Amino acid sequence: MSLPPAAPPRRSRGLNSRLVMVGVALTLAWLGVGYRLVVVQGTRAEEYAARGLGQRLHTETLAADRGTIFDAEGRELALTVDSVTVYANPREVTEPAVEARYLASLTGQDPQQVEELLAGNGTFVYVARQLDPADADRVRAAELPGIYFLHEPKRVYPAGPLTAQIVGFVQPDSNVGLEGLEYEYETELAGTPGQLRVERDPAGRTIPQGEYSVIPAEPGSDLVLTLRTPIQYAATQALRDALQRTGARAGSVVVLDPATGGVLAMVNLPGFDPDNRVNLLPEQVRNRAVTDLFEPGSTQKLVTVSAALETGLVVPGTTLEIPERIEILDTVFQDFTQHPDRLSVTEIVAQSSNLGTILLGEMLGARRLHEFMVGFGQGRETGIDFPGEAAGVLHPPEEWCPTTCVAGTSIGYHVSVTALQMASAYATIANDGVRVRPHLVAEIVDGRGSRVPVEPQQQQVVSAETARQVREMLAAVVERGTGSLAAIPGYRVGGKTGTTKKYLSESGEYSDEDVVASFIGMAPIDHPRVVVAVVLDGPREDASGGKGAAPVFSAVALAALHQLGVPPDAP
Amino acid sequence: MTAPAHPLRAPAAPGLRVVIGARARRRPRVGSWLLLTAVLLVAFFLLIYSRIALDRSAFVLQEVNRQTAVEEARYWQLRLEAAELQAPERILERAQEMGFVYPESVQVVEVPGMGSAGTGTEERWADLKALLGAQP
Repeated sequence: MSLPPAAPPRRSRGLNSRLVMVGVALTLAWLGVGYRLVVVQGTRAEEYAARGLGQRLHTETLAADRGTIFDAEGRELALTVDSVTVYANPREVTEPAVEARYLASLTGQDPQQVEELLAGNGTFVYVARQLDPADADRVRAAELPGIYFLHEPKRVYPAGPLTAQIVGFVQPDSNVGLEGLEYEYETELAGTPGQLRVERDPAGRTIPQGEYSVIPAEPGSDLVLTLRTPIQYAATQALRDALQRTGARAGSVVVLDPATGGVLAMVNLPGFDPDNRVNLLPEQVRNRAVTDLFEPGSTQKLVTVSAALETGLVVPGTTLEIPERIEILDTVFQDFTQHPDRLSVTEIVAQSSNLGTILLGEMLGARRLHEFMVGFGQGRETGIDFPGEAAGVLHPPEEWCPTTCVAGTSIGYHVSVTALQMASAYATIANDGVRVRPHLVAEIVDGRGSRVPVEPQQQQVVSAETARQVREMLAAVVERGTGSLAAIPGYRVGGKTGTTKKYLSESGEYSDEDVVASFIGMAPIDHPRVVVAVVLDGPREDASGGKGAAPVFSAVALAALHQLGVPPDAP
Repeated sequence: MTAPAHPLRAPAAPGLRVVIGARARRRPRVGSWLLLTAVLLVAFFLLIYSRIALDRSAFVLQEVNRQTAVEEARYWQLRLEAAELQAPERILERAQEMGFVYPESVQVVEVPGMGSAGTGTEERWADLKALLGAQP
């Protein structure tokens, strides 16, 4: 007989209910988790994903590399390098005095000033801007609390004061051009910034496989100038010596290539150091050769004589009876050099005879004289690629006074010009009568390396024969006239002296003591390769074009001819 | 008297034999599942490995970009140094220290047939700039 199977043991009621409660609780908990899962991954998935992406995704601007400025021989005159700016969070600086002393010893600053910065209340303060990376590394190695570093591009000028007024400079924070060619060619030099969209983690590291898109920056174009640093240097030295010798308050030298219009050198003193612009005066910054006006005086005779020859009124050998003086109303015109009563046109130029030139001017008349002055570029900007150029002053002939204006204008008064305008006028004669627009930039090299040369405009002003005849007259000025100190051993040169009384606007009269001394010439005279214009403002000693300015021409022209490899041509 | 009892037997189908007491063995299809599992595991690990490799490459690329930026910065510093070394004032000073003087007279020797100088620095730079410009 088999026994019935044993009955299962009875669980207590209390245990059953506890199990049920735990089961319900667990079920509820899992339901909650499941609900949250559905919400996060389902209904609000897009919202949370977008919020997360917003935290990770950064849009950054990629700065464009600013273009470099080269001289004609490929030497850098302006370039951008990496620099490190040191900044501090004063709230994290533990010992301002100690850290300030240490920082000051590394950066060369005043410890007191640095301590004041570190003891401030803010959360950000610049300590040292745009340090050399090697110097910044020494600060970094000190691991000072509250001190941080920022990489910044820094514009530097290796040539320093030598080309400062031509190249100009930029605003340090934004690297935007403020003066000179940096300003004139800002659009070309700056380039176009790019953009980077990237996902980063809280530490700033790029998240692999995350969103990453880049619009590359377009680097700025480079400028290749017509400037030649060795000629610029020689001109600077010669002008500095002249300012010291004559006591002039300022001066300018312009060296042009007459065939191309390229500016080989352009110097103004006093100048400035672009890396040290504290307490800079406007007179140091401006490019006097293109901004400052003066009455050209006897150097204007080139225009009057060229006009007389071109219109066929005279030939180089035409002789004129030169009076002792010319009186027009209460104005008396005289010559300041002894010469015979009759002079040829060539001798009028060689001896710088005011009276002979006035006679030529009277033969031309106001209208024709004005026409040739305009042809030579007076009364308007040359169009050089440089900001702030002055157009000069040349009144239309109908506004000229019927008494002294033709006479005065013939010999370089009643008209205001810049040194560059006069250099360009002489370059026209040097270039067989063709005026070429002066320019500083020879070509632009874009971000991809494509070279775009500058093609300046040209205009025939006088015939080649007239130009040749005038050049011979200019040679006579140096060989037997007022410009003997402009002579260069081994070369035939020519030019014209100018000594102009300065007009005093306060009194409405011309000064008896303050003059502008100038010499503008070219070499070699047969086929000139350089035109050099020298202008001295207010010389006290050797206060004339022949004594003050002509020696500067001689030194600068000789250096330029050597640099260009022009062989001597004198027999 | 009755016949001895014999267990009933099903009549054998033609061509078949009756096996008594032996259980028919059915081979389980475990091999296919194992193969599938193995393939899935391998694929899974390959996927993980490829992701890791890509991420590692991304870090390497980031480091290369950082080093490139460092070298570029160094390049520009060296160019600045070279430009400063070419300054006329510095050359004059060094020449004077070495005892160079300006000549009293200059002799010019013309060599017939000498052409103009070759491509200058700025032209070589234009080629280099095109290469640098191609980088992002």
